[in-house]
Amino acid sequence: MDHAKDAAYLDLASTAETPVSAPPVRELADQRKVFADQVDLLFRHSPLGILITIVVGGIATYELWGERNNELVTLWCLMMLFVGAARHLLYRAYYRRRGGDHEQWLRWFAIGAFGAGAVWGFAGTVFFPAHTDAQQVFLAFLIAGIVAGGIPVFSAVWWVYALYGIAIIAPFTYILATYGSSQFIELAVLVPLFLAVNISIAMRLSRVFADGFRLRHAYAHLGQDHSMLNAQLQEQIEELVQAQREVEASGRKLALFAERAPIAVFEVDRNGTILEMNPSAENTFGYSSTELIGRSMIRMLIPSDEPVLSGEWWKNFVADAHPEAGLKVRCRRRDAVELICEISLTPLVNDVGELISVITQCHDITRQLEAERLKKEFTSTLSHELRTPLTSIIGSLQLINTGMLGDLDKDMAELTTIAERNGQRLLDLINDLLDIDKIESGKLTTFPESISLDELVRESLVLNRAFADRFGVRMALRGEPPSLVVYADKKRLIQVMTNLMSNAAKFSAEGGLVEVGLERVDNMARVSVEDRGSGIPPEFRSRIFGRFAQADSAATRQKGGTGLGLAICKRLIELMGGRIGFADREGGGTIFFFELPLLDQPVAQSE
Amino acid sequence: MPSTPLNRICYVEDDEDIQRIVRMSLERIGKLTVRVVSDPMVAIDAIKDFKPDLVMLDWMMPGMDGPTLFRKMRETPEVRDLPVVFITAKASSAEMDELRAMGAAGAISKPFSPKDLPDQLRSIWSALP
Repeated sequence: MDHAKDAAYLDLASTAETPVSAPPVRELADQRKVFADQVDLLFRHSPLGILITIVVGGIATYELWGERNNELVTLWCLMMLFVGAARHLLYRAYYRRRGGDHEQWLRWFAIGAFGAGAVWGFAGTVFFPAHTDAQQVFLAFLIAGIVAGGIPVFSAVWWVYALYGIAIIAPFTYILATYGSSQFIELAVLVPLFLAVNISIAMRLSRVFADGFRLRHAYAHLGQDHSMLNAQLQEQIEELVQAQREVEASGRKLALFAERAPIAVFEVDRNGTILEMNPSAENTFGYSSTELIGRSMIRMLIPSDEPVLSGEWWKNFVADAHPEAGLKVRCRRRDAVELICEISLTPLVNDVGELISVITQCHDITRQLEAERLKKEFTSTLSHELRTPLTSIIGSLQLINTGMLGDLDKDMAELTTIAERNGQRLLDLINDLLDIDKIESGKLTTFPESISLDELVRESLVLNRAFADRFGVRMALRGEPPSLVVYADKKRLIQVMTNLMSNAAKFSAEGGLVEVGLERVDNMARVSVEDRGSGIPPEFRSRIFGRFAQADSAATRQKGGTGLGLAICKRLIELMGGRIGFADREGGGTIFFFELPLLDQPVAQSE
Repeated sequence: MPSTPLNRICYVEDDEDIQRIVRMSLERIGKLTVRVVSDPMVAIDAIKDFKPDLVMLDWMMPGMDGPTLFRKMRETPEVRDLPVVFITAKASSAEMDELRAMGAAGAISKPFSPKDLPDQLRSIWSALP
C-alpha cells in the first residue's frame, strides 16, 4: 500500500514537472491492482458457488438415490462435499491472509474450480448411462444448468471458468459420443459448442470486469491526483500570497529609498517620458512632480546643445540598453539656472530583452565642482603668494652669503646662512605639501619617457654632491652600473633620487660614505642608496613612508627636512609602477631602494 | 647659438623686492646690463627703447599677465623675434610645456637662486638657434 502511494506521489511529481496530455486509463490503472481485484471477485463469489453446488448436489443425490449404484451416489456426494469444503477452506484462508501473491491464490482457486467441475463431470459420466430416460433428461438439464450457472461465479477470470466447464463437459461429451444413439452423438457435437459459447461469454464478461476495475482504479488515481493537485495549488497560492506581500513590502521599501534619497531619481520610459520622480528630483529641478510626469525629461531638463542624453545619444542608449554611470551633464532648472549633474542611467529590461523603463539618478554636483575649483584656486594662490616673498627672502640671503657685497663678520655670516637654510626648508615644505596634495587628489600627472637609469644615477650624483659636501659626506657609485632602460618621469625620478640621497647624507656621520648602486633584479631595475649611519630605529620602521614621518624632531631641527619626502617618494614610485623599500645594511647603516619595471624593447607608448 | 654674448636684459616684474634682487644678481654676478620695467602696460615701449638681447617676464602681474604680454610682443614687429624667458611660481611641467609651445625660449621657476640666475640665462641664450 505504501509502495503504491509512493508511486502515485512520484507519478504526480513527474506529471507536475512535465505537463503532458492525460495518459490513457490503461496506464493510469495499475495492472497488478486490476488483477488483484479480479482474483478478489472470484473469491467473493466463491461462497455462492459452493452453496449452489451443495443445494443442487443435494437435490441430485435425492433424485439419483434408491435405484442402484447407491455406493457410487454416496461416493459422489462425499466427493462433492469434500470439494465444497476444500473450496470453503481456501476461501477462509484467502480472507484471513488477504493480499499477498494473487497469482498463487488464483492457482489454488483454479484447482478448486477444476475440482468442482470434475465432480459434476463425474456425475454426468457415471450416472448418465446407468439411469432411466427421465433421470437422463434431469442429468442433462442439471449439467447444462451447472455449466451456465458457473458463468457469473467464475467469469471474473475467464480461463478459470473454462477449466471448470471443460472438467464438466469433456467426460460428459465422451459418454454421449460413445453411447451409441445418433441423437446423443449429435448432442456430443452440440454440447462442446454450447460450452464454447459460454466460454466466449465468460471471456467477454471477464474483460468487462477488468475494464470496470481499471476504470475504478483510474478514477481513484485521478481523484488522488486531483486532491494532491488541489493541495499543491493551495500551497502555491499561499506562497504567491506571501511573495506578493514581500514584493509589496520591498516595493514600499524601494519607494521609501527613492523618496528619501538625497539625489534626484526619475523613472522614464524608452522615449524619455517621465513616469515617476522622487521629492529630491522636485527640489533639484524646481518642478513639482505633476508638472513633469508625462513630459519628456530630455526636453524639460537638458539644454538642446548638450551632446549627452539628447537626440541620437538617447536613441543609441535605448538600443544598447547598457547602464551608464558618472555622466557629467549640464541640466536646466525651472528658473533657467544651469546645473551640472552626475547622471547614472539604469535600464530595466524584461526577460526577453525589451527595455521597460530607465531609472535615472541625477546628483547635482554644481556646488561640489565649484568647491573643487575654489580649492584649486586656493592652492594655486597659496603656492604663488607664499613663494613670492620666499623668493625675495632666500634670494636676498643668498646674495649676501655669496660675499659679493663684501665680507660679513663671522657671527653675522653664520646667522644669514641659518636664515637662508631655513628659508629653503620652508620652501621645500611648501613644495612637498603641494606635491602630496596633488598626488592624493589624483591630480599629479607624470610624463613618462624612456630613461637610461645609469645616466640618471650619474646625474643625481652630480646634482647632490653640493648637499653632501655640506655634511662632509662622500657620495660614490657602487661598481659600474649596467645600462638599464625604464619608462618613467625623469623629473620625478630625480626628485626621488634627491630625497633618498639627501636623507642618506643627513644620516651619515661626517666623513661617511654614501654609495649609489644600480642592478637588475629579474625584470626590474633596482636603484639603491646605502648609508653607513646608525640605522632606522625599530619603532619608526612601520611609519617611515607615512606623512610627517621623522624618527626624532631633534634631527629635523639639526638637518632640515619636512618629513614628507619618503611619503612622496613612495607615491611617485608607485605611480610609475614600481615599489620602494629599505633594508638594514650589513655592517651598519641602511639601504633604501626602489625598483621599476625594465623596458626591454621600446613599447608603444600608451599615453 | 647667437654670435654675440648675452649682454642686455629687460625684466618686466611688478614686485620691487624681486626686481632689486634680480638686478643685483644679474649686474653684480652676471655683469649684465639690466633694465627693469614695473608696469607691463608700458613694457613694449620700454623694450623697443632699450633694445635688449633677451626679455624676462614675470607670469602674474596686475593689469596684464606675462603670457598676455608675450602674445602682444609677438604681434609687435620690432620686438617679435626677441627671446623671452618666463619667471614663474606656477612651476608645473604642463604649464612649462605650454609656455615653450607658445614660443618661449625658456622658463625659470620661482623661487630661483640669484647665485645661479645669470648662468641659467646664459645657458638658455647659448641654446638659442
